[in-house]
Amino acid sequence: MMPRPPDPGFFIGYAKKVPPEIAQCALLVSVFFLLGLVSASLAFSLSAQDPGSGGYVDELKGGRLAGVLETLPYPILRVPAQDGKGPRAIMLSGQGKAGVANAADPLAGQWAEVSGIFVKRGELDMLLVGGRNGLAGVEPPAGAVQPQAPVALGRWRLTGEICDGKCYAGAMRPGTGLAHKACANLCITGGVPPVFVTTSPVEGHNFLLMAGADGGPLPRALLDHTGLLIELEGEIEQRDDIMIFKVETPARPGVAS
Amino acid sequence: MSTAYKPVGWNRNKLIYDAILLCGVVAYILLYLKLAPLLSSSVRAVDTPILRMRAFGSLAFLLLTLVLAIGPLARLDSRFLPLLYNRRHLGVMTAAVAFTHAMFVLDWYFAFSATPKFTALFTSNTSFGSIAGFPFELFGVFALVILLVLAATSHDFWLSFLSPPVWKAMHMGIYAAYAAAVLHVGLGAAIDGTNPMTALFLSASLAALSVLHLLAGRREMAIDDAASRIDAKTDWVDVGALDAIQEGRAIVGVLPRGERVAVFRFKNRLSALSNLCSHQNGPIGEGKVVMGFATCPWHGYQYRLEDGCAPPPFRERVRKYRVKISGARVLVDPVAVPLGTRIEPVVIDGAPPPASPPLPSRRTSP
Ligand code: HEM
Ligand code: FES
Repeated sequence: MMPRPPDPGFFIGYAKKVPPEIAQCALLVSVFFLLGLVSASLAFSLSAQDPGSGGYVDELKGGRLAGVLETLPYPILRVPAQDGKGPRAIMLSGQGKAGVANAADPLAGQWAEVSGIFVKRGELDMLLVGGRNGLAGVEPPAGAVQPQAPVALGRWRLTGEICDGKCYAGAMRPGTGLAHKACANLCITGGVPPVFVTTSPVEGHNFLLMAGADGGPLPRALLDHTGLLIELEGEIEQRDDIMIFKVETPARPGVAS
Repeated sequence: MSTAYKPVGWNRNKLIYDAILLCGVVAYILLYLKLAPLLSSSVRAVDTPILRMRAFGSLAFLLLTLVLAIGPLARLDSRFLPLLYNRRHLGVMTAAVAFTHAMFVLDWYFAFSATPKFTALFTSNTSFGSIAGFPFELFGVFALVILLVLAATSHDFWLSFLSPPVWKAMHMGIYAAYAAAVLHVGLGAAIDGTNPMTALFLSASLAALSVLHLLAGRREMAIDDAASRIDAKTDWVDVGALDAIQEGRAIVGVLPRGERVAVFRFKNRLSALSNLCSHQNGPIGEGKVVMGFATCPWHGYQYRLEDGCAPPPFRERVRKYRVKISGARVLVDPVAVPLGTRIEPVVIDGAPPPASPPLPSRRTSP
């Protein structure tokens, strides 16, 4: 008979005694397991990328803003020049993943007052309508001027990403990318104004409010292209300080990377 | 191997196992959500609910990788067997962590909308036609459903209710869950590229599991290829040399139809049992004789050497085979005797005559 090698020990889960070789190995594995999880946790979390500088800004401080309400492609308040600032076109959105088209549509082309809180990122401002009487029709002030007509800037081909304007501006950070695609689609179908974030600026603007080729809301077919780098073509028009990108479908997957 | 099913049968080893698991899980989440924001302004700038779902998602994926690594590790080195002993708790914990991840996702990305959460989950992204932008969440849903079903049926009650082969086949679904999780992470977070670690961990997990499974598979194939030649005169199977069997241990042979048989040597006598444990199909032959019983290395289920029956009050039975010694070789009759049939162990020549072995009568249930 062969000489017997030493018994390496045998683990029985319900036994009270654990052989020392097994206990030693189990200890080592536990330490490995814990150290592994600790370093994985930090490696994962610390390599997160900065989501950008967007966020909530309480500019109105309970006050209201008056202007002419336009409803296409999405509700926009055309605020006349005041306090030394030029005229502004402010995108309006609602609470949660909803726009304010229902409240805005009956007031199309009329004077209105809004209250709420801004989300801002760079030159992108969006007012989230809220508070009591968040959006209501008012009498035009004395000497009121009509907003300027849109300025056509011609046809452009742009590379960038379709984002929902609210999250991109900072309501959810980061509000971009694939992880956000379904969420952005939910926002956009809910009526939150979508924006196109370009890789190269158009007349100094890196984001453009999106519209269909007819000037109405974004066509549903484009929801298949949110959250991705794509190339789009269409007319651009300027209303006060915002750009509107009237895109033609279909979109082409982006070439730039 | 219990006669009455309790929700969880605790013992000291299980408590230690679960305590270490829980420490790891809690440490991972705390560091991710509390320490990382202190260390990095980028992390601070990400919304907390998004950090939470990333923390739980990545942890679920790591734990799933670990669950799948335990099997091959334990086959390759028996010192990893303690990991296997309570693996089901690791599985249940993985399902719980993945569930938490999914709940955070639902309550953030799919909430605050007029569309109900679950409807939104399935309808808000329908880019099925393209790889980039594919609704990767659906793979997560698929993986989670499997994990939850496996967690819910992990208890021994379901094992005996469904029978081990069915249960085992069902729990192989863990590989489908892993594949779905890989697609989920790959098509979503990794393509997105906002966190380079995601792609790195994904590839590391895939590579590690593939290598471990290939190594373990090679070892199993080597066992099947070894020896087990059929003796021309008797049609019995030659499973190996007598002196290859250590006292209290077994050698494993392969019968013509592929079933493995374990021949144990105990008090200088030989007994042949099926190698497949009737609990979770653990390899009994890699176990040991403990208190006179062949004891499975996975969860310690025990079988009498003479008849393959678990000692009362337990009722598990495994197949028994006739065995004989021919010269220096051990031969096994490839035809199993009816379940529960008693066969006297074969005395090895020159060994002391059988004295009726003291049969232990009590044993704790695992
Ligand atoms: C109903 C089921 C699930 C849904 C709806 C879901 C959804 C999501 C979403 C939306 C993300 C992107 C989050 C972000 O980066 O902000 C994500 C990431 C992730 N998910 Fe899931 N998931 C589900 C199940 C699972 C399961 C079962 C696992 C793993 C076992 C898992 C592992 C991950 C991982 C590892 C990430 C990447 C985290 C990172 O990059 O930091 N998910 N999931
Ligand atoms: S498989 Fe669980 S004890 Fe054998």
